[in-house]
Amino acid sequence: MALIDVSDVTFTYRVQPDEETALDGVSLEVTEGSFVGVTGPSDAGKSTLGRLLASYVPNYFEGALEGSVTVGDHDVTETSIAEMSDTVGLLFENPFDQLTGASSTVFEEVAFGLENKGVGREELIETTAEKLRLTGIEHLYDRNPQQLSGGQSQRVALASMLAMEPEVLVFDEPTSQLDPHGTEEVMRVVASLADEGYTVVVVSHDLDRLGHHLDRLVVMNEGSIVADGRPQELFRDADGDDPYELPDAATVGKRLRALGKVPGDEPLPLTLEDVVGEVAPHVADAGDESPGASIESDGGLQAAGDDAAVQFDETHFRYEEDVHALRGLTLDLASGCVCVIGQNGAGKSTFMKHLNGLLTPSDGDVAINGKDTDVHRIAELAGEAALSFQNPNNQLFHSTIEAEVRYGPTNLGYSEERVDELTEAAIDRMNLEEIREKNPYDVGLARRKHVAVASVLAMDTPVVALDEPTGSQDAVGIRVLGDVVERLVEEGKLVVVITHDVAFARDHADRVVALRQGELLLDGPPREVFGRRDALAETDVDPPFVTRLAARLGLPGTVLTVDELFEHVS
Amino acid sequence: MDALLNAPAGRGGLFDYQPGESFLHHMNPVSKLALTGSFVTVALLSPSYRVPSVLFALVIASCLLAGILGRVARLLGGLALPIAASLLFFHGLFNPRNETRLFVVDGLPVVGRIVVWEEGIRFALTILTPLLVLMVAILATVMTTHPKKLAVAMVEKGLSPRLAYVFMAALQFIPEMRDQAEAILDAQQARGLDVRANIRRRFRAFVDLLTPLLIGMLITTETRSLALESRGFTRRNPRTFLFEVPDRPVDRALRWFAGLFVVAAVAWRVVAWL
Repeated sequence: MALIDVSDVTFTYRVQPDEETALDGVSLEVTEGSFVGVTGPSDAGKSTLGRLLASYVPNYFEGALEGSVTVGDHDVTETSIAEMSDTVGLLFENPFDQLTGASSTVFEEVAFGLENKGVGREELIETTAEKLRLTGIEHLYDRNPQQLSGGQSQRVALASMLAMEPEVLVFDEPTSQLDPHGTEEVMRVVASLADEGYTVVVVSHDLDRLGHHLDRLVVMNEGSIVADGRPQELFRDADGDDPYELPDAATVGKRLRALGKVPGDEPLPLTLEDVVGEVAPHVADAGDESPGASIESDGGLQAAGDDAAVQFDETHFRYEEDVHALRGLTLDLASGCVCVIGQNGAGKSTFMKHLNGLLTPSDGDVAINGKDTDVHRIAELAGEAALSFQNPNNQLFHSTIEAEVRYGPTNLGYSEERVDELTEAAIDRMNLEEIREKNPYDVGLARRKHVAVASVLAMDTPVVALDEPTGSQDAVGIRVLGDVVERLVEEGKLVVVITHDVAFARDHADRVVALRQGELLLDGPPREVFGRRDALAETDVDPPFVTRLAARLGLPGTVLTVDELFEHVS
Repeated sequence: MDALLNAPAGRGGLFDYQPGESFLHHMNPVSKLALTGSFVTVALLSPSYRVPSVLFALVIASCLLAGILGRVARLLGGLALPIAASLLFFHGLFNPRNETRLFVVDGLPVVGRIVVWEEGIRFALTILTPLLVLMVAILATVMTTHPKKLAVAMVEKGLSPRLAYVFMAALQFIPEMRDQAEAILDAQQARGLDVRANIRRRFRAFVDLLTPLLIGMLITTETRSLALESRGFTRRNPRTFLFEVPDRPVDRALRWFAGLFVVAAVAWRVVAWL
């Protein structure tokens, strides 16, 4: 018998004002020990499905539920969240909000659930230690949970959930708010738990990392399940019109099959290793791996000169005394899209906060359109450079999306007509027309991030800076952002994008700046920067998948796209 | 395991718990609170500086034995020294009831000489010493008590686990709020909010900052209550604790002593008043 049995479920949240159904006739059976992925666009009902399994729906998130849901022996409508926690554990995206906020050490945090269960002290200590080991964080046992990185924090939340000894683990976008390093840490643990015999359900957009671990992939769209099967089969049948992004490895594999290089009935490759094996025999000039073999020297991009929009001159910045976040950064940015990459702690956010004087250099100078940030107030600099931060909840507070978008231009003292005009343009560009009268908090996180970006676009500044705009976005959301960036560049603006998303940088950047520990590591066009694989490794950045694939195949130069890769396939 | 259970807590600030093995560290937290309360009450009830001075000497000696005197002294230097200096200076020199010369300082530039009077100094000490007892006793309690052990001890004495949670969460709440307030301030300023303009605009700025802070708190509260629920927080079965907080006979005796000490002080004051 299936461990999870969802039968013809339709659900509408009570708070959803316009009666949109979150789930519409969903049926799903999951057998014990399987590893199931759930994917699909934002607001497709994926999170609702996860909440349903853990009985958060309908116990906490109330609404009209039809159909039946059982997990093990429990009917979710008759089981409280606390009782359900013995059977199902749910981990959601924000790593910090899932902690109790009442523990001074990681060990206490993980032990909390066991204390509530009333487990004897010996067993309590033993179980806690075991879960710390299982999630690879035993070395953090005496650290303050509030002071961990995102990836560490997420694993503490996971260990705490495992301590309740559930059979089913549900992950809702567990890595969408993490950097690549944290994502890797968490994904590795998630995959290992499936091997430990847990039944695992993961909601995620990241099929590149997840795809090859899965027994089964469920695709949702508009509240319904639209596809369900083995990942390789679903990817084989994908026609390019699917509500999810195909993993890069599968894209390359499909193209090889379409060209007849590989028999059509061979299972699609899902990992770099597999795809290397498939492409290698068909590449003419495959030779020894030679990363960055033919790289031209630094391009002419640095020579922006005195009229550059952003000038950093020997800029140092220290937080208090001991954290040296920028170390003598010298950089001119004129126009185009500049993507800033680098590991956490490389100084990316510190760099961004220098663009409008939120931070001013401890030593050296920063000028924005010729205005020294030491001299001009933030309120003045806001008219030169507009910044949108990662967490939209830190800025949105109006009762409608339209009012939110008007806020920035109004602050800058533009005339009423100009504010109207800019607001309309920003709403239009970010595709917010349909929801402009809604409260920003009544739309999902992905759309809310778009609202935050729109509210910055409407300020019509010569410099626009976006911090991790593609986090939590689905393929469509990323495309919207990409289009916006391109448009701004066409208008002659300087767009600075802080990002971990190397594919976005490859597709849209005119110039990529890699930082490492507050210093400039690499600076040049994407092709040049992504060709320097060894240097990038110093700041924990991997080049895009196809670039890595081409390097493994020993192709000359730096390959950035699948089309370029196939130029080498004979 | 011992290292774990004695691990430092908190954010590494000056007020945080300092692990150690002294009698103060091992004292039951509830007894420690009771003693602190009784010392402070008795010091405040005292009509002169004598009893508070003895109590002050006692708590300072305890700090020395607990190995936290350095930190306590540093904090007192910042908090109490300015108060002490100004009290002693003004009352020692200018208290209207000054009659008896204590000592004279000669040969000073400008003023020539100053006279320090006994009545003023006594008055200053009567105000100052209970304050010092209060500060040092509370600091000693905070620095030698693991917050979680305090919570456990309170629950074992009948406090509801929910209240204990609120107490623990409150400790972490301030730094969390501060971090979030900073992020909001940055985000709003980046959208042109002027926090240095005239009063009217500043007031509006305050609203613009407060609203996202409140919304953020609501969101955090919502997800956190789910996290607590899913960790079995609302279960009604008896709980166990990671930390063992022994309640030895000596701890019970100390609580009795604390109660009797206050009763005795009150009785003494009442008798003196009659």
